[in-house]
Amino acid sequence: MSRFKLTVWLGCFLLLGTMMMTPTPALAQDTIKVGIILPLTGEKANFGEIEWNSFKMALDEINKTGVKGKKIELLREDDTGKPDIARSAAEKLLTKDNVVMLGGGYGSSETYAIAGVAQQKKIPFLINTGSADNITEQGWNYIFRLNPPVSEYDDAAQNFYKEVAKPKTAAILYENTLFGTSGSKDFEKSCKAAGIQILIKEGYEHGAIDFKPLLIKVKNAKPDLIYMISYVMDASLLMRQSMELDINPRLFVGGGAGFTLPEFYRNTGKTAEGVFSADLWIPTLPNPGAKEYYNNYKKIYGKDTEYHGAEAYSAMYVIADILKRAKSFSPEDIRQALAATDIMTAFGRVKFISYGKKTNQNKLPVYLVQWIKGKLECVWPKEFATTNYIFPHKSWKER
Amino acid sequence: MFIFIQTLVAGVLIGGLYALIGIGMTLIMGVMGIINLAHGQIMMVSMYITLVCFNYFGMDPYLSLVITMPALFIIGYYLGKYLLVPLIGRESILPENQVLMTVGIGICLTEIMRFIFTSNYQSVRTGYSNKAFSLGEVSFNFPLVMAFFLAIIITVLLFLFLMKTDIGRAIRATAQDKDAAVLMGIPQRKITYATYGLGAALTAAAGTLLLPIYYLFPDLGGQFTLKAFVITILGGMGSTVGAILGGLTLGIFESLGATYISMGLKDAVGMVIFLLVLIFVPGGLKRFTKI
Repeated sequence: MSRFKLTVWLGCFLLLGTMMMTPTPALAQDTIKVGIILPLTGEKANFGEIEWNSFKMALDEINKTGVKGKKIELLREDDTGKPDIARSAAEKLLTKDNVVMLGGGYGSSETYAIAGVAQQKKIPFLINTGSADNITEQGWNYIFRLNPPVSEYDDAAQNFYKEVAKPKTAAILYENTLFGTSGSKDFEKSCKAAGIQILIKEGYEHGAIDFKPLLIKVKNAKPDLIYMISYVMDASLLMRQSMELDINPRLFVGGGAGFTLPEFYRNTGKTAEGVFSADLWIPTLPNPGAKEYYNNYKKIYGKDTEYHGAEAYSAMYVIADILKRAKSFSPEDIRQALAATDIMTAFGRVKFISYGKKTNQNKLPVYLVQWIKGKLECVWPKEFATTNYIFPHKSWKER
Repeated sequence: MFIFIQTLVAGVLIGGLYALIGIGMTLIMGVMGIINLAHGQIMMVSMYITLVCFNYFGMDPYLSLVITMPALFIIGYYLGKYLLVPLIGRESILPENQVLMTVGIGICLTEIMRFIFTSNYQSVRTGYSNKAFSLGEVSFNFPLVMAFFLAIIITVLLFLFLMKTDIGRAIRATAQDKDAAVLMGIPQRKITYATYGLGAALTAAAGTLLLPIYYLFPDLGGQFTLKAFVITILGGMGSTVGAILGGLTLGIFESLGATYISMGLKDAVGMVIFLLVLIFVPGGLKRFTKI
C-alpha cells in the first residue's frame, strides 16, 4: 500500500473515531442520563434481553410526560456476563458519561463488581436482579436492591415442604458461581432448621454437556427432594438427563433463575412438567400494572415475560420516581430520595429497609410455581395460587 | 462398580465427539502450522445450519450432515484462500498473524450468528433426544451413542481418504515437508485451502452430532475452541491418531473427575491431565503411536 493511500485510510478511521466518541451536545443537555448495565451478549444474554426490553417499555411510558420537564435517557452498557467487563463498564459510565445514577445488574458476580465501583465513586446504584446475599451486606450506603436476596427465594418453598411435601432427605445441585453458592448455603441452612437431611451438595461448572456423573450419585443417594440452582440451559439438561437416568425423587425444585424462563420449557419439553421453582413474580399478582405489563410485553415483543422483566420494568419506574423526588441530580440528593422510596410497582411494594446484616434491601414475598401443562402456574402460598399443585412427582416410567 | 462403569461410558462417548473436534484442529495444525482459534465458532455455525434445516425443512439432524459438512468445507476453503493464506510471508509485528486472523474470524462468525439468530438459546427437540437404553444398570443415551458411532465412521473415512487418495497423500506430504511437496509438484496453496476446509468440515460434523444432545447459542464456540486446543496439544501437535487418543483421554478424565472429585472441578481435572502430559510426555500422546 502506498504511503498516500495509507494516510487517507488512517485519516478516515480517525475521523470516524472522533465522530463516534463525541456525544451530541444538544441531546445531552435536556435529558437526565441514567446508566444501565446488563448482559446483552454472552451466555446470560437471554435475561439481559428480557430486562432491557422491559426497561425500554417503561422508559417509553415515562418519557411521554418526562421528569421535571426533562426526558430520561438510558445509557446502556453490556457486561457480557463477566465481572471484569462489568467493572470497566461501570467506570466508563461514571467517569466518561457522567450518569446521575446506575441501574441494572443481572449476574451476582457482575453486580458485585459494579456495586464496588459505584460505592467507591459515591454514585447511587439501584440493583434490579443481582441477588447474592453479600451484595447488600457490605454496609454500602449507595447500593440499593429491588429484588429479594437469593437466600429468600425459597421461603415459599420451605413453607410448602413443611405443610405439604414433608421431604426427609434432599440433594442440592448448584452452579459454582456467587449466585449458586450463596443460594445453596442458605438452602442447606434452612433444611437443617426444618430437619431435612442433606445427602449430596455439589456444585458444577456452568455449560457442561454431560451431567450424568453428578446425577448418578444423586440417583444412588435416592433423595426425596432435588433442589437445583441453575441458569436456563443447565436447568434444561439437568432435567432431561434426570429423566434419562430415571431418577425419581418426590419433587424437583428449581431455585428461580433458569427454571422460570419460557426458554426452559421450550428446551426441556415435557420433561419440565411438574417441576417446581421459586419465583418472585407472577402476572396474576394484584399489583398495579402487573397484568398490563405482562400483556403489553407480549403485544410489543411477541414473547412471554417473567419475573426478571417485571423487575426491570419496575426498576425503571422506581428510577423515575426517585428523579422526580430528588431535590437536585447530585448523587447525595438522589441517594436520599432512594432511601425514602415507598411506591407500589408492578413487581410489588418498593421500600428499602435494613434488617439482619442487610442494608437498603427491598423485602418482598416470594412464590412457589410449577410447570403444569406447559404453563407456569403459581401453587403456593395458597392465597395467590392459580391452580392446585401436583404432588408427588410422577415417576418417569408412569408418564 | 456401577457408578464407575457408567462414568466410564459417559466419558468414552463424549470423548468420541471431542476426538472429532480435535482431529479437525490437528489437521489444520499439521498442514498450516497454526492453531485455529476459530474452531469452536466454525462448529457453532454448523450447528446453526443444522438447526435451520431442522426447523424449516424438518430434516433430521443426522441427515443434515450431508449439508453441513460440504457447506463448512466450502466456507473453510474460501476463508483459507482469502483470509489466512495471503497472510503468509507478510511482514508484521507479531509472527503469528494468521492465528490472530483466526481469532478475528471467530469473533465475526459469533457476531454474524448473533445478528441473524439473536442470543437466544435454541435446541433441537427430536423424538429420540431423551431416548436412552440400558445394558444392565448402565444407561446409554441414544443421541450420544449415535454421535459416537457416526464420529467413528467419519474418522475411518477420513483415514481412508488420507491414506489412499492422491489428495490425502498430498495433504500428508505437505504436512511433513512443505518445500519437498512443492518440488514434487503438489499445488501446495490449494492443498492448504482444502485442509482448512476439511478441518472445518470435521468440526462441522462434530457440531451437528452434538446438537441433539446439547444446546446452541452464539457464544458457544469459545469453550470448544479451548477443548480442541487442549486435545491437539495432548495428542501431540499435528498427529491425527494422537488427537483421537487425546479426545478420549480428555473425555474419560473429565468424567472421572466429575464423579470422584467434584463436578465443579471437571474442567480443572482436564487441565491437570493436560499439564501432566506436557510434563511427563512432552510431545503428546502420539509418542505411543506409530503414525
